[in-house]
Amino acid sequence: MTKSKTTRRAALQTLAGAASMPLWARFADAQSAEPIKIGFQVHRTGIGAAYGRWYDRTTQAAVKLINEGGGINGRPVEIVAEDDGTDPKRGAEVIEKFANLHNCDVGFGTLFSHVVIGSSPRAGELKLPYFVVSEGHHVASGALNRYTLQPGITDVKSQVQAMAPYVADNLGKKVTMIFPDFAFGHDHRDFFTAAIEAQGGEVLEQIAIPPVETSFTKYFPNIPRDTEVLYHVMVGPAVLTFVKELGEFFGPSRPEVFGFIDSLEAVDMTSSGLEFLEGTYFWEGNPRYAQTDQSEHDKFYRAAVGVDANGASISDPADVSTYAHMFGCWETLHIIKAGMEAAGYQSAADRAKLVEAVEAMGEMPESQAHPQGAKLFNGKTHQVFGHQYISRVENGKLVKVHTTSIEDTLYPDEVDYTTQPL
Amino acid sequence: MRAFVLKHTIVALWMLSHGAGPALSHASEQGFVLLLPTDIYTNAGVTAVAATVVLLALLPEALSKCLFRPLHLWPISLKRLRFLSCTLSTCLLFWMIWRGLVGDRDPLDNPMPLLFWTVWWVALVSLQGVFGNIWQWIDPLRVPVHLSSWSNPVFRYPASMGYWPAAIGFLLFAGFLLADIAPTDPNRLALVVAFYVLATCFAVMLFGRRWIVRAEFVSVMMRSYGRVGLFGRARGRVSVGLWGWLATTQTAPPLSLAVLFVLLLGTGSFDGLNETFWWINFLGLNPLEFPGRSFVVLPSLIGLLVSNALLIGVFAASLWLGAQISNDRRSLPDLFRAFAPSILPIALGYHIAHYLTTFLVDGQYVLQMVDDPLGRGWHLLDLQDFFVTTGFFNRQSSVQVIWLTQAGAVVLGHIIAVLMAHRIALRDGATSWGAFVGQFPLALFMIAYTFLGLWLLATPRGA
Repeated sequence: MTKSKTTRRAALQTLAGAASMPLWARFADAQSAEPIKIGFQVHRTGIGAAYGRWYDRTTQAAVKLINEGGGINGRPVEIVAEDDGTDPKRGAEVIEKFANLHNCDVGFGTLFSHVVIGSSPRAGELKLPYFVVSEGHHVASGALNRYTLQPGITDVKSQVQAMAPYVADNLGKKVTMIFPDFAFGHDHRDFFTAAIEAQGGEVLEQIAIPPVETSFTKYFPNIPRDTEVLYHVMVGPAVLTFVKELGEFFGPSRPEVFGFIDSLEAVDMTSSGLEFLEGTYFWEGNPRYAQTDQSEHDKFYRAAVGVDANGASISDPADVSTYAHMFGCWETLHIIKAGMEAAGYQSAADRAKLVEAVEAMGEMPESQAHPQGAKLFNGKTHQVFGHQYISRVENGKLVKVHTTSIEDTLYPDEVDYTTQPL
Repeated sequence: MRAFVLKHTIVALWMLSHGAGPALSHASEQGFVLLLPTDIYTNAGVTAVAATVVLLALLPEALSKCLFRPLHLWPISLKRLRFLSCTLSTCLLFWMIWRGLVGDRDPLDNPMPLLFWTVWWVALVSLQGVFGNIWQWIDPLRVPVHLSSWSNPVFRYPASMGYWPAAIGFLLFAGFLLADIAPTDPNRLALVVAFYVLATCFAVMLFGRRWIVRAEFVSVMMRSYGRVGLFGRARGRVSVGLWGWLATTQTAPPLSLAVLFVLLLGTGSFDGLNETFWWINFLGLNPLEFPGRSFVVLPSLIGLLVSNALLIGVFAASLWLGAQISNDRRSLPDLFRAFAPSILPIALGYHIAHYLTTFLVDGQYVLQMVDDPLGRGWHLLDLQDFFVTTGFFNRQSSVQVIWLTQAGAVVLGHIIAVLMAHRIALRDGATSWGAFVGQFPLALFMIAYTFLGLWLLATPRGA
């Protein structure tokens, strides 16, 4: 893949090119020359905008590739991007626009959970297949509906529980958790506490930090002395301060430290203040740094999106991507393509067939369409399961030290969406 | 429902610069700002403003007057050229509206929100305040207004209305900016702008061009900021002087216009405040999982009105107290009118500081749009290998430069304000010492406001 601009305009250019030689022939067999319209619910403004920029860039790269490969069922793909403002009410409006105004075939791409939760009911009512890329457990929990699917990214419940075996076997069994004191932190607390206990470990202390806190040193004396592993999931503007103060508190003698890369997604690991993290461990949804055993698919995917071996934009080494998450857009678009092809999708009348086709998907081997790794889709819970990665910070880079099995990430079904009418 | 893991609701929060304005949330510099010694910077900034106040008391009167004396450059009159440039600007406005209605739905791709918010509201308002009345050259309403006023107006614009319609218009605009749930939606924005243009033309038919001078908020606001720019016209020549020189030579504005000056600052201040952890926490929301603008429409509107009312009250109280101390017999409205222009450079400093990070990011989207204005795959600026970046928010060194630039705008705005207020007092007959004493409460207000401005830049934000 050459260095090329994969913006929306470039994707549209490919689309426009489909009407002229030589690309037109790729779409010539289609019964309809109309493009497949994918409504992209993108966080352009609001708190999700930083993620939205990379979700957009990944989406454009995937659509460009799909169109260069002949589109879907011989029809070009067109992305209709609407900003949801990272707001659930606006999100629901955007879903209505996709279905009623833009005549989109599907909705796609939502990241933030509260927007998914706000938008999903409307997608269900309008019978618009809604492919979210949110990582939330809300899909598999049964709270949504049959038209909402998460086939391109794993959920946080499976991610957290899959960490416990490695932590218990390699880092220690006595864990202290530090987390922000609200739903996000509580979910980590609950999921991981149960998972580590299942591994014969224990959580010595759960330290909940008020969300408005910007200085943390006063909480650190609560960390028990016999702590073997410190599990942290701090988020917000004060994360760098948190790490810096943690380093000042422990000095050179610290317990093992394990965190979720969410805390430092899109942050340069060599930033000043992060030196303390050297030798600590992180969950990664997809390894940010190209590893020594990098697959050809990851290599291809990086080049297509325009990301270098350090996970940063090829045009600016300081512009670090949201690499642990954005692959979900790429993979979801390829699943939409596979689903539409399996369903013989022709028009909006086939939306139900598309949902059924995706529900019928099971194993998804690692491939160009799935550069993050192999996956297993659960048609009943509408949630995909896949490998998780644990990386260690070495010389300011995240080096993969463990890949979980897919089995490590599984948990009993909490819903069967296939029993709901289409 | 606890199972709803709001994972990403939170994660990106610290990547934000500021989200309350439209299309503004991108940056990741907040984490680095919290690591900067902003308390030291803040103290330095506040001290600089306080030192200016003290210095003025000691400065000889003649020297104080010299500060704002302009340099007269050349006589120039290019009215025909101005009409041409405004005609082009009108065409651009109609093109924006058209693209907003039918173009790409992405607000960072569509010319309507990019040109309206990033180019006009963020950049041109700043440039107008820094350089002077450039708006007269690019005012897109000039031609439609000219055409609308071909016949005699139906009514005479009531003098009693003063500039109040413009003040109300600005508040409505501020409400749209701060509280609407999708002010960057291309279609929505195009409809709002189209409606405003039509309504303005209709009002001009009814009341004549006086509507533009007194009631149309964009023109009034732009001219207001133009008063404090470096360049202006004096003695028939283009002249240049210290920011605010033109305003200090003009007669005191009517009360309605003076109130509008203060509204510019009050709104700018609330625009910063409503993104802070403090405000979100005050509303009983978790700043780490800000639920979205639709959850805070009413609080934002109330906050906007209360902030402005408070500012007007505190400003008036400072003036009243100063008058009591210095035995100034002028009425409070007269004092308010006299000193309100000194608020303008503060408002401008806030505006520049608040939107600098936005401009650094969204300006790149503007470039991309100009590269391919119709979405046809063109590369008019040869930007085919260009990716929008926010990398400068990812380095401590660049974040420091950005923060100090923002802080510099705030501090400089206040220093100019202090100088202007002093000059206005001298103009109105006070001695240098008398002006110092009479303005002591006002100076304290400005020093406190410097602190507020720098605190807004340094404090964590979550919306």
